[in-house]
Amino acid sequence: MDKEFTYIGKRVPRVDSLSRVTGEAVFAADLKLPRMLVGKVKRSHVAHARIVRVDTSKAERLRGVKAVVTGRDTAGVKWGVFRYTQDMEFLPRDKVRYFGEEIAAVAAVDEDTALEALELIEVELEELPAVFTPLDAMASEGPWIHDEYPNNVNVHVEINVGDVEKGFEESYLVREDTFTAAEDDYFMGEPFAVVARFDDGGNLEMWTPNAGPHMKAKPLSNALRMPLNKVRVRKIAIGGAFGGRSEISPADYICALLARKSARPVKLIYTREENTVNVRMGHALITTIKTGVDREGRVLARDITCYMDGGAYSSTGPIATSVPFLCMEQAYRMENVRYNGYRIFTNKPVRGMIRMHGRSFACGVDLQLDRLGEELGIDPVTMRLRNARKAGETTPTGSVVSSCGLTECIEKAAEKIEWRKKYGNLPPWRGIGIGINSVQTGFPLGIRGGSQAFIKFNEDGGVTLNSGVVDNGQGNDQMLVQVVAEELGLPLEDVNLITADTELTANDPGSYSMVSTFAGGNAARLAAIDAREKLFRIAAEALEANPADLVLKDRKIFVAGSPDRFLPLTKVVRMGLIQGRPVSGEGHFAPKVDHRREWVSNPHGQLSEAFSFGATVAEVEVDPDTGQVRVLEVAAAQDCGFAINPMVVEGQFEGSVAMGGQGGMLTEYHFWDGGRCMNPTQLEYKVPLAADMPRIHPIIVESNDPGGPYGAKEAGMSIAMSAAQAYASAIADAIGVTITDFPMTPDKILEAIEKRRQEERK
Amino acid sequence: MKKIPVSMTVNDDEVDIYVPAHWTLLDVLREELELTGAKEGCGEGVCGSCTVLMDGHPVRSCLTLAAEARGARVLTVEGLGGPGMELDPLQQAFIEKGAVQCGFCTPGMLMTAKALLDSKPEATEQEVREAISGNICRCTGYAKIVEAILDASHKSET
Ligand code: FES
Ligand code: FES
Repeated sequence: MDKEFTYIGKRVPRVDSLSRVTGEAVFAADLKLPRMLVGKVKRSHVAHARIVRVDTSKAERLRGVKAVVTGRDTAGVKWGVFRYTQDMEFLPRDKVRYFGEEIAAVAAVDEDTALEALELIEVELEELPAVFTPLDAMASEGPWIHDEYPNNVNVHVEINVGDVEKGFEESYLVREDTFTAAEDDYFMGEPFAVVARFDDGGNLEMWTPNAGPHMKAKPLSNALRMPLNKVRVRKIAIGGAFGGRSEISPADYICALLARKSARPVKLIYTREENTVNVRMGHALITTIKTGVDREGRVLARDITCYMDGGAYSSTGPIATSVPFLCMEQAYRMENVRYNGYRIFTNKPVRGMIRMHGRSFACGVDLQLDRLGEELGIDPVTMRLRNARKAGETTPTGSVVSSCGLTECIEKAAEKIEWRKKYGNLPPWRGIGIGINSVQTGFPLGIRGGSQAFIKFNEDGGVTLNSGVVDNGQGNDQMLVQVVAEELGLPLEDVNLITADTELTANDPGSYSMVSTFAGGNAARLAAIDAREKLFRIAAEALEANPADLVLKDRKIFVAGSPDRFLPLTKVVRMGLIQGRPVSGEGHFAPKVDHRREWVSNPHGQLSEAFSFGATVAEVEVDPDTGQVRVLEVAAAQDCGFAINPMVVEGQFEGSVAMGGQGGMLTEYHFWDGGRCMNPTQLEYKVPLAADMPRIHPIIVESNDPGGPYGAKEAGMSIAMSAAQAYASAIADAIGVTITDFPMTPDKILEAIEKRRQEERK
Repeated sequence: MKKIPVSMTVNDDEVDIYVPAHWTLLDVLREELELTGAKEGCGEGVCGSCTVLMDGHPVRSCLTLAAEARGARVLTVEGLGGPGMELDPLQQAFIEKGAVQCGFCTPGMLMTAKALLDSKPEATEQEVREAISGNICRCTGYAKIVEAILDASHKSET
């Protein structure tokens, strides 16, 4: 970067932190409205059944109950991310498909009354045979979970590029391995909560954690059969998302329905168990990978088949089935590659996208590469370097990679942990490993445009930015404020935000697919530049200068090179008002992608305008008696394009190592009794604690993407994924055995060590 | 519903109220007193987001019955510092070090840290990590939280 920035690229504290440290920030559960009722949901206690009868009469008669709703109160609209995946009723009328699915709901004056009312609802269900694994689901003779999907196959993504068979023939070495992983989960800090009310104009107002308010308003307007402009999803503090707030929640709809029926505001807060079972969770995966390499370890052909346990509904199915493969085709060069991804319906809770999406997939690819390298006598870092993606290349499915700092990430992470010195020379039970990955910076869902931003000046020279970008906790608000303050020469506190409100702000693609900085940041930047140009036109006349020679800094507009020829910004704003040309700004940005690309029917073309790349190196120590893993040190390097705020970016890296590596590889998974999740809370689903965490070295690599604002792409996601891979690789190095089922809990590690000992004895 | 009288001091305010007998301290704070800084992240004592100080000790307010808090001095994040008050050095450090991401865990984390530094102003990194290991943060990986607490402890020394 040749330009000197005031805020961009600087470690400035986040403007939204103050309200969080004082407890003033309002999350949905904190809201209290006059005459507000408490909502609760009646759920299925079986995994698959026909709904025969739901009798709510007793519940309706209970004192304090103001509304009861069932499938009969709905218009029967089905939700799906795509037109071809619309298969989910928010309150099903005919059938329940997983344990815990919504059947009815009540709104009452207090929680105790609401809970009592749930008990009074009589539900008669006719149980159907249920299936709980993808393989059983495919082998099942029916009844299918959805009649329209024979053998319960929800999505099949097929990609075939180059000549895979020929590639294998030409390979010096070929390996095939299968990797599996159980479901992982978000466990965002805030359990889901929603407040809904209808205002005196008949408009629905809603406060709900979301990854894009506009993406909630649309399905709500469809399901409630009301005009989109009357559905107002408001801004609210959000306690984390990680992919788990991407879609409309049945509870959003149910809460609105209750508010409509009772004509009172309703608040519905999920228990932690409901937040797990009834939001989304990660898919369980079975991934078979066959890879052929030449003598130097270069991959010549790859064939991957993956079965994903999708749970009861499509959700983001086509995307979820594709992304694990796409991440790998971005990170690694592969000329001949075949992918068959199947997402299978089971009678289990619905699965969605998650920060470390498809851990058995990415870890499998990397672990297999380690084993191939071992047979060839090539170390894991060299194997990565030989196959790593480079800028200017095109992925197998046709995305041009405009910027890529992957090689630098690998080299820097390896150097930080002293790879060359340590690899192969560590004491017994110590190991070192590496993982690399890449994620998209925004991809079209087939329904989403770009982001639009507006800037309004106040008379005092302060501004209000209006943008649809939502902040789930990652710092998007701060990103917007820094961008606008930079472009308009304002202190951070002079930039006010109106964001993430479907009535007040224009469309925005939401924060999924890591697009906020790229799209929303660019739009805000363009709006600020637009406003600045108008300011300069006014100032240029007064200063008798050329607008092109003006600069805006510290609330003053200067003629470049003459520090005493300036006008205060406030004055120029007022001049604009007096002259009848008030200053405002507008900007919009849509990433350049190939809109003909479709997840299933046409998985070819530019997927995303930019891609981030990450490499993580981890050093671990395994206790051979207990199977416990102690992680000594982690270096996490990511090419985030450009770090608009290095402190925020580091925070993303560190959180990613915790979730992807520490939790994702060592402790996090769901276990089941049939279709019932047996560890729905943090009591038995173990997320990392402060004392578990290793020292993390965040390394920011900047490739300055030509399309990103100031060169920025996204921060953290390719660390979450590569951290998982690095942990897997390091543990394999420490114990001398490759574990293929994740996470690597102590029992699996001990079993692997024992097996190795037995083999050595033979 | 049977209601019981509860008297306590919350952030220097004398509180005399009647609440349902089964209510927790968290219910009292959030529902009755409208102090929503303490959060309910799990309701079963695992996550620590509801942590407040009772007579200087960190407690899980979701597991503490209102009746148990009778006569106690309760300090919540709202009483630590904020509008009309100076910020506590911990709050300041959390902002400056980037220890806040979504902020849902922050109030509980701050109260646990406050109890630690009150009893051990020169806590080591290991002690900090252990002290906050009853507070789950899903966003930060804890690195910047630990850094902030250590920073606040160094500042209060000088
Ligand atoms: S809400 Fe009290 S510990 Fe989680
Ligand atoms: S900052 Fe989000 S849970 Fe801690």
